[in-house]
Amino acid sequence: MRRTRRRALVALAAPLALSLAALTGCTSGGQAGGNTGGNAKDTLTLGLTADIQGWDPGVQPTYQGWGADAVWDSLLRCGPTGEPSASLADKWEFSQDQRTATLHIREGVKFSDGTPVDSAAVKANAEYYATAGGASSRWAGITVETPDAQTVKISWPAANPLLALRMCESKIATPASIAEGKFEAPIGSGPYTLDTSATTGGSVYTFVKNDSFWDSASFPYKKVVLKVLESETASINALKTQQINGSLITTATYEEAKASGLALETLKANTTRLLITDHLGEKIPALGSVDVRRAMNMVFDKDAIAEKLYLGRATPAYQIFREGSNAYIADMKDPYPFNVDEAKSLMAKAGFSDGFTLQIPTMQGQGHEKLMPYISQQLALINIKVEEVPLSGPNAISELLSGKFPVPLWQLGNYGESLQDISDYTLKDGIWNVSHQADAKIDELWNTILTGTEAERKQAQQDVNRYITDQAWFVPMAYPEHFYATTAGVEVSQVSDFSGLHPLLRDFK
Amino acid sequence: MMLSVLKRLLRSAVIVLIVTFATFSLMFGNGPGIARAILGYQATEGDVQRKVVQLGLDRPLLVQYGDWLGNAVTGNLGESFFTGQTVTSALATRVPVTLTLVVLTMILTIIISVLLGVAAAVYGGWLDRALQFVAVLGAAAPSFIIAIGLVFAFAIAVRIFPATGYVSPDISLGGWLLSVTLPVISLLVGSVANAASQFRGAVLDVLSRDFVRTLRARGIPGSHIIFRHVLRNAGGPGLTVLSLQTLGLVGGAIFVELVFALPGIGQLANLSTQNGDVPMAMGPVVVTIIIVLVVNFIGDFANTMLNPKARTR
Repeated sequence: MRRTRRRALVALAAPLALSLAALTGCTSGGQAGGNTGGNAKDTLTLGLTADIQGWDPGVQPTYQGWGADAVWDSLLRCGPTGEPSASLADKWEFSQDQRTATLHIREGVKFSDGTPVDSAAVKANAEYYATAGGASSRWAGITVETPDAQTVKISWPAANPLLALRMCESKIATPASIAEGKFEAPIGSGPYTLDTSATTGGSVYTFVKNDSFWDSASFPYKKVVLKVLESETASINALKTQQINGSLITTATYEEAKASGLALETLKANTTRLLITDHLGEKIPALGSVDVRRAMNMVFDKDAIAEKLYLGRATPAYQIFREGSNAYIADMKDPYPFNVDEAKSLMAKAGFSDGFTLQIPTMQGQGHEKLMPYISQQLALINIKVEEVPLSGPNAISELLSGKFPVPLWQLGNYGESLQDISDYTLKDGIWNVSHQADAKIDELWNTILTGTEAERKQAQQDVNRYITDQAWFVPMAYPEHFYATTAGVEVSQVSDFSGLHPLLRDFK
Repeated sequence: MMLSVLKRLLRSAVIVLIVTFATFSLMFGNGPGIARAILGYQATEGDVQRKVVQLGLDRPLLVQYGDWLGNAVTGNLGESFFTGQTVTSALATRVPVTLTLVVLTMILTIIISVLLGVAAAVYGGWLDRALQFVAVLGAAAPSFIIAIGLVFAFAIAVRIFPATGYVSPDISLGGWLLSVTLPVISLLVGSVANAASQFRGAVLDVLSRDFVRTLRARGIPGSHIIFRHVLRNAGGPGLTVLSLQTLGLVGGAIFVELVFALPGIGQLANLSTQNGDVPMAMGPVVVTIIIVLVVNFIGDFANTMLNPKARTR
């Protein structure tokens, strides 16, 4: 009897004991993922809606790239509309043929491991970008010369009017880390260094100030902490309880943030649009007709989209470019006002009154669930039957860009430097011109951009805008607002990101 | 006994092989997609193809799995395709967070559900009806909804607990307790609701048996009968439910980790699977299998200790 009781006790105690052992044994290796937020000018704690994707300087996204901006310096800095200013390079010059950037590297700058930042280091980085892939593929085919220790000449194989943006996107890492090819911890010459002892990958990244940084005054915080908060609910809760000082939020939590007294910076960096890329009608013959493309524009009530779908947190869009950029035409009226009858007439005129079937890819997190019912309903008015094709997982972007879907719906960024938009959305090899069809008029205007005077270049950008609007290559719908929320005591001086997506690290004061 | 343990280990090894191979197979064949996800949308097809070859994703499934398995048995679970972080170091920081939630929840579930279940079965009446009502309510409310409500009440309206984040106990024991309290309560509600009902049913079942009547007829005190005889007999079904609950908690923890921004394996598994980060996705799979096997082992062991009939089978 006694043995049985003992066994029973052991039976009940065993799970508890093993559980406790597991708990205490395993937690000893853990690190603090939490942070009590930041005392202004002491610690700046920002929320990240997605984790940092490693420390390879060749494949760093600009979106929420505060970690990269903390540890690496760029060759130049760009302002909100892409205008360059000094950074690692204190003097620079772009050749008349727009192929070569000649840069003088600031004297006396060192990486955090003590090695000098000189022309050889810049050469190693530039040559790495040329082969790293990703966003760095814009450096493909370059050649680099280093006439002396502080001067570097980077030449592109063809004229490139976006040299300044390339310089601003660069992240200069130590040549040793590039040669090693492993980027477990970043070594750069940026305003901060990564404190690995206070960092938990996927959760919290802590950066401490690099006092020897050449422009230390522009970065007032002694410490920057980036917390990964993938749920917007978690972000808004962390903001309200001052666990973080800043985060991107959407219209879903706008009212809550406002009611909580958070400061809100309004960002208008995107245009919601259909991209009609099959201008030649190779995949869907009807899309080769400008009348059909115009009819597709005329079935959307842009005011209603801004007011109803975006709950007033958007303005109607009649063109794809950002206000204030060179290509933007300030006095452009709605070229295709909402008129379903006129749209039907255009479809009949083009010989497609029976319509056609259109597959539109959708992805989670892109606002498609809000837009697609309206888009399907409106296109059905001119007998265009929409089939939604959900894309997910790692293949999603590949499929989206494959050209399989000639009319994607996307909220695409519109840069302060509209040349980047023209390059991405209209040129034959443009990444978002997914059908990759050439157009003689666009080529002609691009040639003017490459070879013309400053005034001619600007005019050519507006001409591109007029042309693609006339040809109805897009169905622009709205400029939706996004928000950057900050707690009291943290000021965002301006949003100097030329992508307009969020404040940069140097904007937090 | 030894033979039984060896058989169980062999079965466990087979299960590990089947589950890891199945997971690996599901993620296989997507080399270009994974490479594109790493390089971003601006990468050219050439860049993507080079990355596929660099990561070895162009090789046959069995070769890739064999490589992974060969390294895994030596303790090397590989590196993230995206961040270069070793899988073991990622697990070292994340497993304790999830285990904290699961283990604390289970300990509290055992204590509370046994007490509630026994009380409801023995006393009946309003207590029993209340337990059944609350059990249905608790089981019906998703843990993440409870989590959101708790954050609003006790982190925002009344700022007692942190709204997000995890603090390790070796940094601050008080901070650790504060950081896990709300997440554990979020998981505890549903867990206790289910387990207490099961214990109640099991205790009621045992109470109706002849030997209990006999014990009572012999004048043995009620508490003695309940805690020394009834509870032990009711423990078997209860333990089975608890072991199943534990496995369910590992899944439920994913949502709670999201609401409280806790860096656990749930989030790691979710994101790495979405991204196609094969080595990083396999890490949580291996950990989860081990948890399942260990929990089953503990459940069976406890059952055999409680019930001699189970030992002889």
